[in-house]
Order: sequence, then C-alpha cells, then structure tokens
Amino acid sequence: MLITGIKSRPVYDRLQPMTGGLRHLIAGQGSGGAAMLRLIADMSPSQRQHSTLLYSTESFSGHDHLQALRELKVAGLEVFPSNQALIEALARKLNEAHMGTRLYLSGSESFIGTAMQAANAVDLNRDEVLREHSGTLVRRVWCAHCDTYTENVTHRVFTCPGCQLDLVVRDHYSRRLAAFQGIKADGEVPGELPAAEELDT
Amino acid sequence: MTVFKPIETYADQAPDHTYQNSREAILRLPFPYPEDHYMYSMNVEPHVPFGTGALRGQFDIDEHYVSECHHRAQTLAAQPGVHYAALPHMMEAQWDLLELLMESYSRDYPEHFTLEKSGTQWHWINRPLQIDDTFTFGDASTLPMEPMEYITRQAQGEFILLEERDDTLVMGAGMATQRADYSLRFNLGMSFMEFHGPVPKLHEMGILQRALKFLLRLRPGHPVRRTNWSITVNPRLETSAETLPDWAPERTLVTAENAGDLVNLRIELQPLHRLPRSNAVLFPVRTYLVSLKQLAEFAPQWAKRMHRVIRDLDQELVDYKGFTRYRDAMVTWLSQYDDGTPVDESQQ
Repeated sequence: MLITGIKSRPVYDRLQPMTGGLRHLIAGQGSGGAAMLRLIADMSPSQRQHSTLLYSTESFSGHDHLQALRELKVAGLEVFPSNQALIEALARKLNEAHMGTRLYLSGSESFIGTAMQAANAVDLNRDEVLREHSGTLVRRVWCAHCDTYTENVTHRVFTCPGCQLDLVVRDHYSRRLAAFQGIKADGEVPGELPAAEELDT
Repeated sequence: MTVFKPIETYADQAPDHTYQNSREAILRLPFPYPEDHYMYSMNVEPHVPFGTGALRGQFDIDEHYVSECHHRAQTLAAQPGVHYAALPHMMEAQWDLLELLMESYSRDYPEHFTLEKSGTQWHWINRPLQIDDTFTFGDASTLPMEPMEYITRQAQGEFILLEERDDTLVMGAGMATQRADYSLRFNLGMSFMEFHGPVPKLHEMGILQRALKFLLRLRPGHPVRRTNWSITVNPRLETSAETLPDWAPERTLVTAENAGDLVNLRIELQPLHRLPRSNAVLFPVRTYLVSLKQLAEFAPQWAKRMHRVIRDLDQELVDYKGFTRYRDAMVTWLSQYDDGTPVDESQQ
C-alpha cells in the first residue's frame, strides 16, 4: 500500500465486494488485474453475475492478467488497448448507470486518478467507489507553466515535453487534475537544479 | 475618507514600477507580529471593527484601491482562466459574496459606493471605478460576467469560496490575481487538509485540525479574522506558481545593501465569513506590500520587531516562505534599526 507524507495524495483502499451494490463496474489496468481477480474470488455468485469488467492492457511495468480475467464467470469483460480508451468507455457507462451501481478501480495512480475524474463527473458518492493502487509509483505530472500533462514520471526533476523547462515535481496532488504539480526546477538561478532523486523509493 | 492614488504599477506589470506607500498607509497596516518571536498559532479573533486602520471596515480598502483593481483587470486579461475559476455548483455562493461585498463597501465607505435595492432590482454605484449598473439579484444574465468575477474585479484582495462537504471545506471558486506561490487551477476542488498539504509544521502541531473545527462552526454574521505574512522581492502582487519563472530569479538580487529597497513584507489580512444562502465559507486574503525601507522610515518600532522575528525564525518557515537565499541579507539590513530596547509601538 502507498503510504507517504503527502497530505493531498489520496489514501487508497483494498478492493472488496460492496454489499449494498446491485451492479458492479470493475475497471483495472495492467498489474491492477490481480486485484480484480481477487475481488471476483471474494464475491458471491450473484454479485459475479452482476459484475462488468473493464480491463486495459496498457502497462508501464508490463503486467498482463488478461488470460485469467477471460476465464471468470461474470456478466461481461471488455478489453481496451489503452487506459484512455477504457476511461472513455467508463465515462459512457457511468452516464447511463442507475442507483445501486458500485465502482471498483485498480491500477496505477494515474489510471485511478483519471478514472475518478469520470466518477466525479457523475457525482458518485465516496462510499460507492473503492480504489486499489498497484504497480509502480510513477506519477502523472501537470506543468503549471504550459498546462501539459506528462505520464510515468519517475524522477524528482524532468524536462517538460510541452515547454522544455526542467520541472521539479512537488509533493502536492490535485484530484481534479489527477496529477502532481511540476514547476520550474531552476526558477531562482538557471541551471541550479535540485537533486533528481528517484520518486517514492 | 480614503484618498486613492492615481494608477500605480506593480513590479509584475512594469520593471520601473511606481508602487509606493504613504506614511498613513503604513501606519494603518495590520502588522502581523504581536511578539518578537513568530511561530504558527491559532491566531483567530472575532472580526469586529477596531481602530481607524485596516481593521475598521468589514473589507478594507486603502489608497491603492484603484491601482489594485486596475492590476486585477490587466492580470486577468493577460492569462485567461488562470487567475479566476469557479466550479459550476458555486453560483449561489457567488451571489452571497456579491451581496456581502456590496453591502459592506456601501456601508463602510458610503462616499465611494452606493447600493440601492428595490426587491431584486439592485442599483450599484462604484464612484472610484466609475461604474453605475442596474441588475437583477440572482439572475446572472443581467450582469456582464459571473457575479463573483464582477464584484471581485471591484475589490481589493483575493477571494476564495469554500464549500462545506463531508465535514470539511472544499475549494470551489477563487479570484486570485495576487496569490503567494500556489496554483488556483491545481488547488480547486481540494479539501482543507489537502490544500494546506505543503505547509510545514501545521499538521504536526495540530493547528489545522483545530482551525477546521473552528471554521465549521462559523455562523453567518459572526466573521473572524487572522493575519498571515510572507516576503516578496519587489512590490509584486502576482506571485503564482504559474509565473514562478518570472519572479523567482529576483530572489538572487537581494544584498545587505539593497534589501531595504528590494525586500517587501507581504501582509495578509484574512477576514473569514460564513455565507447565509449557500452555507459556503468566504476566505479573503487582503494583501499589503511594504518595502523594508518604507517600514523602517515610517514605523521604526515595527522594523525593530521584524529584525528579531526574521533573525530567529524557524528554518522550515523560511524555506516554505521562500527567502532562504536572502534571509541573512535582510537580517543585516534590519539590524541597523534594532538597538536592543523593547519594542514600543506608541513611540512611532
């Protein structure tokens, strides 16, 4: 589990069946497939019959649980080549969802964060969503200067592909933007950069 | 009666900025150091009128009013969408804010502002900015822009609207053309604990938990106030995270010789209000900039105290407030005003 001193970073859950739910939307990505498999195993046969799985095979760390997910007896499994495609499909499903729908998310922080943007757009309550973090600790970073988002940032200092500035990643997370904040690393003196340490290691 | 200066420029508008304080403007400042030593505390008190200075009105205006409104208009035009943002469900709170500011300004400064109400037909006159508008309260289509943007373009200070939800306060809207190193777009939607995340010590000292409990009990008609402060090189109002590449290099310019001219004490007066319809909490940040040189010239007792505060300030606060690079230069410059005797504010 991801525990840091970052006050604005979400505290993640462990996926478990939400008993009040009538329909279960279970979306995951890459290594998040393991949590999906465990969740389904913990469910009653009736809950499984009302579960729809969305899985993206995009993975930074190369984990793929598609084979095992295909063997599950659930209402449906939809597979996507990218996280973006999955989240677009999830947004459509949430738009048409009824009361009693429960959402489960598992995967990278970037995946969970951007999927939560879709959940927040339809005002899902806090007790209607569970999120389990898995995989690497890479960050999605928003550049405060040019508004560019960069996925899979692994080091404290990196070059923004949008404005080419060297950015330092602040330990500050915005759920609305689903990203950490990046600001010019050598803001005071050009070339005077902080240590480019590995993040969260 | 407040006499407004002709339009001045701030350091973020022009390299040869003209911003200056009069002696009167300095002596009316809400000086943020009650003691020779500073540390975070629950420094909240009822926001009742006090004296003839910055604490007299509900929302203070001073000689820089016209200049600051002009600065706001220019800053908004330069970076659309960066300094003003409101989530869609905050409209009721926006009207609350418009009502509070119009009623407060017209009551506290009747020579400058007039509000006439006939049912929902409101007539607003702002003489210093030469505005004379009639609109229907509650109908945004009768204003040229959203009510919060409309009224805060005519107000001094920043304004943040916090929505109460899930036993916390969530940032729902803001007019922030003079924010101290944060991003409004980034912080929008964050809860109280989240947007205070980067501030050192507060969490460990338990201050945030107490402050939040206190604010959740805030009632309409019973506002509270606190002060905060920071340090800014040159009289620069707009110091957001977005424009850090523009202002951070100035931190390298400060020396013990020029600190008096370059370094500004940035005082924030924050009068918090519970709003009656929306139940939102209004968090205003009224910012005052004063150079060390002008402070020492017109308020030498405050300069003496500031020398002690800055000299002994906890390093974590120095780093967070961003003057690590030139703290020593400031202390050296200020030390010429500290003769070691007790601070006596009645002597200045």
